[in-house]
Amino acid sequence: MKGLFYSLLCGLIFMLFQTTIFPRFLPPEMRPNLLLILVIYLGLSESFLRAAFLTLLLGALQDVFCGSTFGLYATVQLAVFLLIRLFSDRLNVESRRLLLGLIATCTILQTVLLGFTLTTFAEAGPVLWVLLSDLPLQIFFNLLSGWLLLVFLLRVQPLLGNRQGMAGLAYQSKHHGA
Amino acid sequence: MRDFLKRHQIPLLITLLVLVIALVYSANLRKKTTTTLFERAVLTLTEPLQQGIDRTGASINGFWNNYLWLVDTRQQNIMTMKSNRDLRARLLAVEEIRLENQRLKKLLDFVEADPRKVLPALVVAEDASSWARTIIIDKGLRHGVSEGEPVVVAEGVVGRIIKVASNSSRVLLVTDASSSIAGLVQRTRTRGVVRGNGKELDLDFALRKDLVEENDLIVTSGMGGVFPKGLVIGRVDAVQRNAFGLFQQIRLAPVVDFSRLEEVLVLMDSAE
Repeated sequence: MKGLFYSLLCGLIFMLFQTTIFPRFLPPEMRPNLLLILVIYLGLSESFLRAAFLTLLLGALQDVFCGSTFGLYATVQLAVFLLIRLFSDRLNVESRRLLLGLIATCTILQTVLLGFTLTTFAEAGPVLWVLLSDLPLQIFFNLLSGWLLLVFLLRVQPLLGNRQGMAGLAYQSKHHGA
Repeated sequence: MRDFLKRHQIPLLITLLVLVIALVYSANLRKKTTTTLFERAVLTLTEPLQQGIDRTGASINGFWNNYLWLVDTRQQNIMTMKSNRDLRARLLAVEEIRLENQRLKKLLDFVEADPRKVLPALVVAEDASSWARTIIIDKGLRHGVSEGEPVVVAEGVVGRIIKVASNSSRVLLVTDASSSIAGLVQRTRTRGVVRGNGKELDLDFALRKDLVEENDLIVTSGMGGVFPKGLVIGRVDAVQRNAFGLFQQIRLAPVVDFSRLEEVLVLMDSAE
């Protein structure tokens, strides 16, 4: 229950960053998608049912602040989560490079799924072009924020106490084994 | 049957989950301007936080700009004084035209076309995605705002309300890829549909035979019933007229600077 609450709180803080703080400094195409990073993290570290439920809630939360149709991000984030889950046991989550690679792959995947959902279910105008033209910058800024979050998490983790199965973060920490 | 369900519990659950969510999305496509209970609750809950962050940011920004970063203030002051003199001269001429217009309207027994109430609002947040163009304002149901109402600034059209919570609302900007407004070229009265493309605007379905030039002003036509007639949308940036086909391709530059939106006006329904 505590973990669920922390993840939701984290999602809410990320959402506030994306809607109020980033727009002050960054143009739309340079704003990272922090909730996607959180979904990747959940997909690698939480139990299936809990992570699926959280992903749905986070997707719905993102829907409240993104676009005009409720349910789009809930669908896309859930699909991204399921795909991560499909390969998660074959990935070496202890590798920092692999985690960053996963962020880049999931950004591309999310863009493809968004484009597919938007154009299949509705006449969405030139949205596909907008999505594709923003993709390189999105990948870069998602990677940058993923890396910063990873560094931050590894710093604070010893203060919070290590939890089991945290996407290999426990193993990456300098304090592991200490 | 029970065995089958037990054996394929997880894949079946996943399929069901994805189907249900896709159905929710599909159902919501038909009612884009309906605010669900969940959306209303989250918007109401986050509005004070967003407003707090926005105000703090604005204070820091104001302090920086007003007291610390004053490098080109003198130059700006000289330019402002010069433009002020020019504008005063122009204002005198405009005032004369306004009085003349007032007299003529009276003569024609002119009834004001749009007696809507105007509600000022502050922009407190922006869209969380990189591809959609929406903003959140600090006025909602409690202030009489409802879905579909147009939002403008002094320069022109901003967008329309798509979701309403008790103290906040979401506005779909005209530059969003899913936005479209009936517009016309002010000079030639050529009709068309103004669509957003994420960054700028396009005027679709403008007949090729009508001569549209760069810098022509595009205004709302009043068709569709959302926007009142005559609000400025943008200026023609580029025109592409092929040798064949019914329509020409017109690219518009919006008159509103969406990256610097701070205050907007909601044109409320006249019934309220």
